[in-house]
Amino acid sequence: MANSADVEELRDQFLEQEFDSKDFLLDQDKVLTVAQMSGETRPEFTDPEHPEFQAPPAFLCSLASGRHLPIDFPRLGGIPMDGGKAVTVHAPVPIGEPLVGKTHLADIYDKKGRSGRMILIVARMELYDGQDKHLATTDSRMVIREKPAA
Amino acid sequence: MSIQTIADVEFGAELPTFEPDTSLAACGAFANAVGWPSGRFDDHEAARKQGLPGALVPGIMGLGFLTTTIHNWSANARVVNIDTVFRAPMLADTPAIIGAVVTDIDEDEGIVELDMTIKNEADETRVFGTAKVSLPLE
Repeated sequence: MANSADVEELRDQFLEQEFDSKDFLLDQDKVLTVAQMSGETRPEFTDPEHPEFQAPPAFLCSLASGRHLPIDFPRLGGIPMDGGKAVTVHAPVPIGEPLVGKTHLADIYDKKGRSGRMILIVARMELYDGQDKHLATTDSRMVIREKPAA
Repeated sequence: MSIQTIADVEFGAELPTFEPDTSLAACGAFANAVGWPSGRFDDHEAARKQGLPGALVPGIMGLGFLTTTIHNWSANARVVNIDTVFRAPMLADTPAIIGAVVTDIDEDEGIVELDMTIKNEADETRVFGTAKVSLPLE
């Protein structure tokens, strides 16, 4: 399926199926570095002694930089590019407590232009704490420019 | 004007912005903290060898700049959702010019929507996005 991937087929086969689960224990120093390099000054992101000390949204996005596609997802021919990130925060994400991130594909769609077709894939990671409370959702948008037929 | 509650927000208002640190040291520290390889974000020459125009600001660091803009705007603001599109690379060591404007206000739910951008000195948009922000009702 190097070219002319059928988006509907891909959607039917892969959407909403969990393909990755990963355990996390957020490192305080790394969280602080990300907050500080982002220019953050709010104590809930920069002061470990703050009662609501938590990971900032940018750090949550970084947790989703592992496997983005199911192992049996077909190669589409082009080089995947990072098209963007989104994060929804449902509750503060604590540092130093066990977390689990479960990933599925939330959307697959295409866009056509003069230079050809691009396929966009949204990998969604849902982050839970040890009590299975849903804390945050991150979306990683991949853009694959389909190779023109030879 | 200090933004404390949803009643303080005006439609179309522009958020005060700040000048983020896009130095090689800052980009490298950020990339290292999130586990990304060095070179691409903290060394122009190494980045060029990878086919890039120079060292880059990590995309999610741009998301961090936007989040900070919101937090600086109001000490009571809580980012519910932020969605960014990486339109083109941001070069390290160059100014990242942030813009943010209020596009919707839900006074019943205490939710503000923002359109946000990061541009370079040539006024070219590198990152754009939207955010939903929660503020106290009273």
